[in-house]
Amino acid sequence: MRKKLFTIAVVVLLSATTMQVNSCKKNDAVQQSNSLTFTVPPGFPEPKYNFGNNPLTKDGFELGRKLFYDGRLSKDGNFPCSSCHQQFAAFVTFDHDFSHGFNNQFTTRNAPGLFNLAWHTAFQWDGGVNNLEVQPLAPITAPNEMAEDINNVINKLKADNIYPGMFKSAFGTDEITSQKMLKALTQFMLMLVSADSKYDKVKKGQAVFTLAEQKGYTIFQAKCASCHAEPLFTDLSYRNNGLTLHPDLKDYGRMRITNDNADSIKFKVPSLRNVELTFSYMHDGRFYTIDQVLNHYSTGIVQSSTLDPSLKNGIPLNIEERSNIKAFLKTLTDSTFINDKRFAQPQ
Amino acid sequence: MKKQPMLPFLLAILLIVFAAGCSKEFSSSSGYKGTGNPDDSFNLRIDFTPVFDTVKLSFDSTYTNFWEEPFSVSAFKFYVCKFDLINTDSGTVYHINPDKYFLIDAADSTTWAVKLASKPFKYNRISFLIGVDSIRNVSGAQTGALDPLKGMFWTWNSGYIMAKLEGSSPVSSLAGNKFEYHIGGFAGQENVLRKPTILFPFGQFSQIVADKKSIISVNANVAAWFYNPHQIKIKENPSCTTPGLMAKDISENYSKMFTVTKIVNN
Repeated sequence: MRKKLFTIAVVVLLSATTMQVNSCKKNDAVQQSNSLTFTVPPGFPEPKYNFGNNPLTKDGFELGRKLFYDGRLSKDGNFPCSSCHQQFAAFVTFDHDFSHGFNNQFTTRNAPGLFNLAWHTAFQWDGGVNNLEVQPLAPITAPNEMAEDINNVINKLKADNIYPGMFKSAFGTDEITSQKMLKALTQFMLMLVSADSKYDKVKKGQAVFTLAEQKGYTIFQAKCASCHAEPLFTDLSYRNNGLTLHPDLKDYGRMRITNDNADSIKFKVPSLRNVELTFSYMHDGRFYTIDQVLNHYSTGIVQSSTLDPSLKNGIPLNIEERSNIKAFLKTLTDSTFINDKRFAQPQ
Repeated sequence: MKKQPMLPFLLAILLIVFAAGCSKEFSSSSGYKGTGNPDDSFNLRIDFTPVFDTVKLSFDSTYTNFWEEPFSVSAFKFYVCKFDLINTDSGTVYHINPDKYFLIDAADSTTWAVKLASKPFKYNRISFLIGVDSIRNVSGAQTGALDPLKGMFWTWNSGYIMAKLEGSSPVSSLAGNKFEYHIGGFAGQENVLRKPTILFPFGQFSQIVADKKSIISVNANVAAWFYNPHQIKIKENPSCTTPGLMAKDISENYSKMFTVTKIVNN
C-alpha cells in the first residue's frame, strides 16, 4: 500500500513539476536563446556577484551597454558613464586626477577602472556602496557628476523610441523601471573582465616573461602582493598607505562610512591590472607616474596611527628593483580588453 | 529506528512546487508588484494618518514642539513592513506578508492605507517594523515602494532612509532655516530599525472573520520625534543625515509616534 501511494505521489510530483516548467517555458525560451555566459578566467576565484538575481542575457548586456554610453543619463546630456570611464584607459578617466562633471565641476576622487567587478562586494574608494547594482545611482545623482534625478532618467528612457523595445527584449516587458535599468547596467559592467594580459598569458603557458619582468614579478610577490594580491591584484581591503591628508578635500575615506576612527584615511586597495593605463594614481590622483608611486612607497610614507603595519618602514627599492617592477607592471596591460569591440560605444 | 514514511515529505515538496510557481513572476518581492495577489484581496487595512499631537498634519501650518520651537513640515515619510497581529490572551502572533514594503508619505494620501491579508482571528495588538529590513539594504536594485526614485535611498553609503522629516524653523541655523532628519543605518551599532508593539484602545479588538474586513486607524505623530526619551532640539540639531548616534536617538523617539485611535470591524 505504502509503495503504491509512494508511486502515485512521485507521478503527481513529476507532472506538477512539468506543469510548472511549462508555465515558465515562454520566459525560459526567451532567456535561453538570449542567455550570456559569464566565464571565470583560469585561476580566478568564484565571483561574488549573485547572478541568480540578474541572469545575464545578450539583450540585457546590450541594453546596459547602450545606457553606459548614453548622455541622457545625465542632467544636460553631456556626461554619460563613459565620459569618466573610457575603454582605452581600462575605464578610468585617462590622464586625469579628477573627472569633469555637470556645470564645469570636478569630482573629488579619482575615477577607478571598471573591470573584474563581479569579484567585488563593495564599491567606491571607501566601499560605501554595497552592491554593484546600486553603484550607478551615485554618479547619476551626484550634483558634481551627472547631476540628474532618477525620475528624469526613467522618463527620458520611456519617451525614447528605442529603449522600450530593448527593455522588452531584455526583461520580457517594456515597462521601464530604475531596477531594470540598473540590472542592465550591471550586466554590462559584470562582463568587463580583464584577464588576458601578458601576465595571464604567461600563467597559461602561452608567453614567457623577459628577464626583467621575471625579476620584477619576484620582487612584486615579495613586496607588493600582500595588498595587491593575485589574480585580481587587490585584496579588496581598506588601508592607509601613508599619504598626507589632502589639505582641501580632507578626505578621510573609509571612516566616513564606518564612523570608526580606526578607519581614518583608509581607502580600498586598487587593482594593479592595466596600471600602465590608469594614471593618475591614488584616491585623489596625486601621482601621475608609476615612478612617483614607487618613490612614495620607498621614501614618502607618512606615519600615522592608522598607517598599514606593512608600510611602517616603507618599501625600500633600489634602482634595479624599481626598473624590474615597472617592467613587470606593464605585463598587466590587457590590450585585448581595451580593444574589445563588445565593450565599445554601440554604433 | 522506524523508517519514516516518504509520503508526507513528497506532498510537502509538491506543495512547495505549486506555491513557488514560476519564480520569475515572483522575483520582485518588494512593494506592491509581483506578489500575484489582486490588490483587493485584503481583509485588514491599516490607515495611517500623519498628525501633530492629535490634529491631522498640514504642510501649511506652524507647530510648536516640546522645546517651544516653532516649525513647519515640508516632508514626512517612513517605511513600514513586517506586520504582526498579536493576541496577548492566547499568545497568538500572526506574521503577515513578511516581504511587502510600504512607504507612507504625508504628501500623498494614496499611500496611507496599507492593505494586508491576515488570518481570521481576534487580535489586541499590532506590531510592525519602521524601516526596511537589513537584507533589502544590501540586495541591489529594488522596485515598488523600495525604488530608489522615491528619494529614500542613500547613494553614497548604500542603504535606505527609514524615515524622513523635513521642514523649517526660525531657530534653525541652516540656510533657509531648514531642518532635516533623514534617519537610516541598518548594520551593527548603527541599526535604527525599530519594531514597536502598539496597544489597541481599551476593550477594542481587531476581529477578522471570513468575508469581512477590519480597519485599524493609526496616527503617526510628528511631535514625538523631538522628545522621549531623547531631547532633539532643532536649534542644536537642525540636521541628521547620516547613520550614527543621533539617528539612533531620533529613531527611538519616533518609534513611539504611533497610536491606534480606532478599529472598525465589518
